[in-house]
Amino acid sequence: MNKKSKASGAILCVSLLAFIAFVAYILHINQEVLYTAHDRSEFVFGTPFFHTLLSKPFGLMQYVGAWLTQLFCRPAIGTGVMVVIWVLIFCVGTKAFRLQGSASALMLLPIACLLTSIVDLGYWIYIYPVRGYWFSQSVGYLAMLLLLWAARCTPRKWHLVWYLIAVCTYPVLGWFALLFILCLALTEKPTWRELIGLFLLILTASIWHVLLYMNLKSSDVMLAGFPRFETPLDKSERLSIPFWVLGAVSVLIPLYGRYLNRPKVKAFVPTLCAVAGIIFTSTLMFHDRNYTDEMRMVRLASDDNWQEVLAMAEKSKKPTNTMVFLKNIALINEGGLLDRSFKLGNDGVGINSPDSIHVTLLDIASPLVYYNYGMMNEAIRLNFENAIQAGFSPFYLKMLSRCALAKGDEKLVERYTTLLHHRPFYGNWQPAPVTEKVKELQNCFPDELTGVENSESYLINGISLWYETDSKVASEQALLYSMLRCDSRRFWASLRNYVKLHMDEQFPLHAMEAYILYMDKAPEEKRMMLPVEQVVYNRYKQFWDTLEGWAKPGMTLEKVGEKMRSEWGDTYWWYNIFGRKTY
Amino acid sequence: MYLSRMKTKLLLAVALLLLSSCVSHPDVPTSSKEAKCQPAIFPDYCDVTVPCNIAPLNFMLPADQYEVCVARLTTPDGQQQTYGKGVKVQIPESEWHKMLGASKGKSIKIEVWGKKQGEWLSFSPFEIYVAEQPIDEYLSYRLIEPSYVAWDYMEIAQRNLTSFKETQIFNNEITMNDKTIGQCVNCHSYQNYKTDNMLFHVRLSNAGTIIVNDGKISKVNLKRDYTISGGVYPSWHPTAKLIAFSTNKTRQGFHTANPNKIEVYDLASDLILYDVLTDSVSVICEDPDLLEVYPTWSPDGKYLYYCKSVPLPEELRDKDIRSTYPKIQYNLYRRSFDMASHNFGEEELVYDAASHNKSATLPRISPDGRYLLFAEGQYGCFHIRHNDGDIVCLQLDDADATLRAQIGEETPSDIDLSKLNSQGLPDSYPTWSSNGYWIMCASRRDDGNFCRVYFSYFNHGKAEKAFLLPQKDPELHVSLLKSYNRPEFMVEPVKISVNEFSRAF
Repeated sequence: MNKKSKASGAILCVSLLAFIAFVAYILHINQEVLYTAHDRSEFVFGTPFFHTLLSKPFGLMQYVGAWLTQLFCRPAIGTGVMVVIWVLIFCVGTKAFRLQGSASALMLLPIACLLTSIVDLGYWIYIYPVRGYWFSQSVGYLAMLLLLWAARCTPRKWHLVWYLIAVCTYPVLGWFALLFILCLALTEKPTWRELIGLFLLILTASIWHVLLYMNLKSSDVMLAGFPRFETPLDKSERLSIPFWVLGAVSVLIPLYGRYLNRPKVKAFVPTLCAVAGIIFTSTLMFHDRNYTDEMRMVRLASDDNWQEVLAMAEKSKKPTNTMVFLKNIALINEGGLLDRSFKLGNDGVGINSPDSIHVTLLDIASPLVYYNYGMMNEAIRLNFENAIQAGFSPFYLKMLSRCALAKGDEKLVERYTTLLHHRPFYGNWQPAPVTEKVKELQNCFPDELTGVENSESYLINGISLWYETDSKVASEQALLYSMLRCDSRRFWASLRNYVKLHMDEQFPLHAMEAYILYMDKAPEEKRMMLPVEQVVYNRYKQFWDTLEGWAKPGMTLEKVGEKMRSEWGDTYWWYNIFGRKTY
Repeated sequence: MYLSRMKTKLLLAVALLLLSSCVSHPDVPTSSKEAKCQPAIFPDYCDVTVPCNIAPLNFMLPADQYEVCVARLTTPDGQQQTYGKGVKVQIPESEWHKMLGASKGKSIKIEVWGKKQGEWLSFSPFEIYVAEQPIDEYLSYRLIEPSYVAWDYMEIAQRNLTSFKETQIFNNEITMNDKTIGQCVNCHSYQNYKTDNMLFHVRLSNAGTIIVNDGKISKVNLKRDYTISGGVYPSWHPTAKLIAFSTNKTRQGFHTANPNKIEVYDLASDLILYDVLTDSVSVICEDPDLLEVYPTWSPDGKYLYYCKSVPLPEELRDKDIRSTYPKIQYNLYRRSFDMASHNFGEEELVYDAASHNKSATLPRISPDGRYLLFAEGQYGCFHIRHNDGDIVCLQLDDADATLRAQIGEETPSDIDLSKLNSQGLPDSYPTWSSNGYWIMCASRRDDGNFCRVYFSYFNHGKAEKAFLLPQKDPELHVSLLKSYNRPEFMVEPVKISVNEFSRAF
């Protein structure tokens, strides 16, 4: 007997350790995601934000969640707090559900659900409008378990009081108050008290809708706080799965938990729970190299750490469109735009997402990109457009502050930095000084009245039209973007202006490659003669020879492009033939 | 026994702590260095004139420069009280209203001390003049981010100006049934400052105009096949159940470099009259080449004032408005109105703004009919987005001046509003309180971006220094990332709940 008990204790310990190791690993590989969670989560000090959240049920939990999410600015600290909450959930849950010995491993399942809910979001992280998401569910669940523990510590005749308490706490706990009623009702054999409890369960939301939330749609009051993933353009049922499972597990534990203490079963429970939790999280977690690389690049670019951005670009095999833009901005700042841009790749790929989600450069980094191109009005507009939907998070406040500084709006800088200074870790934050390059670009284009265009093609088209500029930096951009558009007319105009502004400077490699190509395939009537390096010209001829060699029946353009990528992918010619996009 | 005493002490301490957290009456510093200037408080309430029923003018010293702020308020009867907690001075409503009562027609003296790097500074005292005339008790506005294209949550709210109580009139979520297109609520308007007859528009999802007629709610569609749109900018006739609207084809564009950032313009606009009782729409004016907009009734209901664009030079007429918009200017006109027949008279020029190379919009006549307020900028119809947008006031009963204005000779007896207007930032949407002693406007003067509501005392043609809508926490003006849009005075609150409004859909 003693041996058996020792063995089951050992199994429990090993299972717990395995699960802890798994959680630690998952949180470790998601540190960049957690930083981005803080960067894109709104928490504004003061009464307006507080009152806005409290005007809806579950608002207090969201407020607490939003405050705690700020801690992810230092992911290790945020993670530490999150883990403490989960440990508390485990401990309080075993008491609340009266799980002993091996059966206590059942509490790993709710934790797995909560862990999954923060690592399965993927690109929703940029557009999810619900405030405090990252912590509110864990905190809410912990509060529910504390209530359940307290209720079960009191005599059964008091349960009715606890049902009423649950009804009263609905504005705070939302759907967890209902889960509490259900769990409490199911822990005991049904009597009239439990029936009243279940009756209250059905009525609670309606009661509160009438009492306090008449300004809301009834559908927004029902099951308050249960995460629904819906924006005007996107919807995901998949992301709600962890919460349905969390609810189901919490209901099943009081119903069937007692059967797990049978000797034949209990030995397997810890292993099964740990394995189930690991499989569940692993299956639903979103993991994509570009997803996290892109986040890191945005963070580095926000800090003007252009060397690191380039270091990442060099490692990236198939960068996303956002990464391509950030890499080209890094090259403006570090130099070598027209010598290195195509070597590092300009054929960006779309995002990889299991949902057909509408997330683009616009949501990921557009204010940062527009800011660095000196297009302040657009940067400010996109900051607002995004922040109105997703919240005035540090990312947007920092960008707004930098834009205001660039526009000379000192009062606005003060306002945004004041808002940031109220956040932990931002006490001394100040916008970085506006660089000379940004200042130069800011003054290089005339004022125009535009519509609501804000796509990648708007940016590329717009910049490719800067071919009459007096700015050296802008003329480089115009030339690059005319090359990206594969637009010979704009290329010749840009090149002419570039040459005029860069007299006595070396002819950059990619510009030379484009010059050779367009002289060959799309020359102007009045040709502009520039000296080119013989090596480059010979390579151009080799490129066409190789291309002709691959051009056989059955070979598509894509297949030829892939075959030639390793040798020619670093040239403008390869981009022009295989990597070009319609802008 | 010892434990029981401890408990009592603990309870007392907690109670004291709670009390002290409610109201703080700190001691003034015993010694301080003289700053020889007035304090740089936010909001700037130094030497302003306020209504005798306004909510407490709470203020603060800049938190990044000072650690503590203490203020001593002295009323004309010699009563004194000190306030201050951290850098904020927040005065309890009951104490403030007593002070206002004791200072009516006189002033409250304010002395401020600020602690900076451990050292107390004493600033030169300032006065808050308390006018004998009250302000209308309620104010309504739309709260919205200074938006471009996107918006999310939007509400029309009402605020009690004698306290800090704010409640919702309507929000855009309760009746939105299609999130992909969203819902916009706008242009709330009241008949004669009262709320039994009022309206607001709902656009896109579940669109229509909500009209309250003697407390009864209905949703109507004001678009007719002979109008260019449904009703847009409204004005209730002061006595009859009639509403003048403009109908507009409005567009907005975005500047790539101009500090104004946004341009709002009309491709077409006309004026219509809506009869609430018969649900009929008649056209007031519809010049196909010119733009008529922003109707407003004279307080006696005998005239309808409005803005109308000046014809563009021949060479610009066929050009894209995105290039001609800086040339579009509006003058102020009026037409007489016959209540019996509902007919309008001939058009009369009231103010020739274009002759001064200006554009006048949003006219409002003072309740006594003697003054005309409007917003003026160099061009266009949307001065809240123009940094040169200012409020202008003309004396209407000055016949000579009006004549001079009509012939474009000069601005007729411009009343000096320099204490109301900001320097180089947008001021627009002017309006009068029901007693005509208070001018209200929306202004982006604080930071150029977020619109806030400002009031100015107006008496015998003289406007006093404008002051910002007071808030319980003065820092709310920093933390609120929304603009106050279309502020309107009311003498009573809207009594219909959001839910009741939603039932009209």
